[in-house]
Amino acid sequence: MSPSHTGDPKLTHYMRFDAHTGEMLYDAPTAREEQFTFMGMMLALHVDLFTGLPGQLFLGFTGLLFVIAIVSGGVLYGPFMKKLDFGTVRKERSRRLKWLDLHNLLGIVLLGWMMVVGITGVINELSRPLFGLWQATDLVELTSGYHDTDPPQRLASADAALRAAAQAVPNHRIISFSHPGNMFATPHHYMVWTRGDTPFTSHLIIPVLVDAATAEVTAVARPPWYLTMLALSQPLHFGDYGGLPLKILWVLLDLLTIVVLASGLYLWFARRKATDARVAQLTQRHQQPQAALAKTTHGHEGSSPGAIAGGGS
Amino acid sequence: MKPRSPSFKKVWGAPVALAVLTCFGLLSALLGTGAWHWASWLSLAIPLATGLGYWLWPRKKA
Repeated sequence: MSPSHTGDPKLTHYMRFDAHTGEMLYDAPTAREEQFTFMGMMLALHVDLFTGLPGQLFLGFTGLLFVIAIVSGGVLYGPFMKKLDFGTVRKERSRRLKWLDLHNLLGIVLLGWMMVVGITGVINELSRPLFGLWQATDLVELTSGYHDTDPPQRLASADAALRAAAQAVPNHRIISFSHPGNMFATPHHYMVWTRGDTPFTSHLIIPVLVDAATAEVTAVARPPWYLTMLALSQPLHFGDYGGLPLKILWVLLDLLTIVVLASGLYLWFARRKATDARVAQLTQRHQQPQAALAKTTHGHEGSSPGAIAGGGS
Repeated sequence: MKPRSPSFKKVWGAPVALAVLTCFGLLSALLGTGAWHWASWLSLAIPLATGLGYWLWPRKKA
């Protein structure tokens, strides 16, 4: 429900009624209030950093960097593992070597999953431009006959609209419908949301536009290929399509991915430290002979550089 | 890189097998129900177990 057709769409909220007594059972928070619940904030941090489209494109771009990092890591894996058995973790030698091996092992084991979650994440961040494209092209065409007319004053019954939609797509299940003027409908149409009845097509939501005045089907708005791709990217990114066991696996895969990222970061710092140490050692060695020459009378002090060498790890 | 050479197989055999298994697992739960879900859970658990196994119980060098 929302206060009016023209009002702020974020004031929309759901209400649940008892179908027998008409009593209101639940009045959900508005879309705006929902944003500031814990899960709403987590979702915003994950999707758009509270900044709408710019945040979505920014996070989509970082997702792209994530995918590039995985691909380049995969390319490096080949030469690195030439002389090592799969799964080698050299724990005894040094901390850096151990984490390098673990980074490679976990990275290559999770490669497929990280690629899928990375690529589908990027696609999901493009959802607004993709839906916008659909609205600007196909949907405009579907509703073009209504552009210059006022919304109808008397609405056909919702029941008639649902029956008309069910006839138009007999193999689909109706999952919901939106009243004319709702943020998910047009002022001229009931929007009936349907989906297929196979596991695959159940992820594809196909809206049916029903004329609000006559209850005749205006169009079955079959989404174009890029929205089908988007619809399949959502489950593959969130992992919410295979029951609780899949969700648990998703958490574990996610935690191991964090280990890959954190160890990559650690190796980057450790590498820098090692390089700095090596540079310091070389400069010192370079300066030492001169110092030794100057202090020949003091003898043994010039023999120490060898003791510093090899401390790189 | 010479594909199909023994060293290619040695380096990439396990990673490719695990990646194929991962893709199968991700798709089987998406496209099927019932037994396909079980197949999905199993095939996604294998790469996970492989990583954890080698991490926690490294193989001793012979």
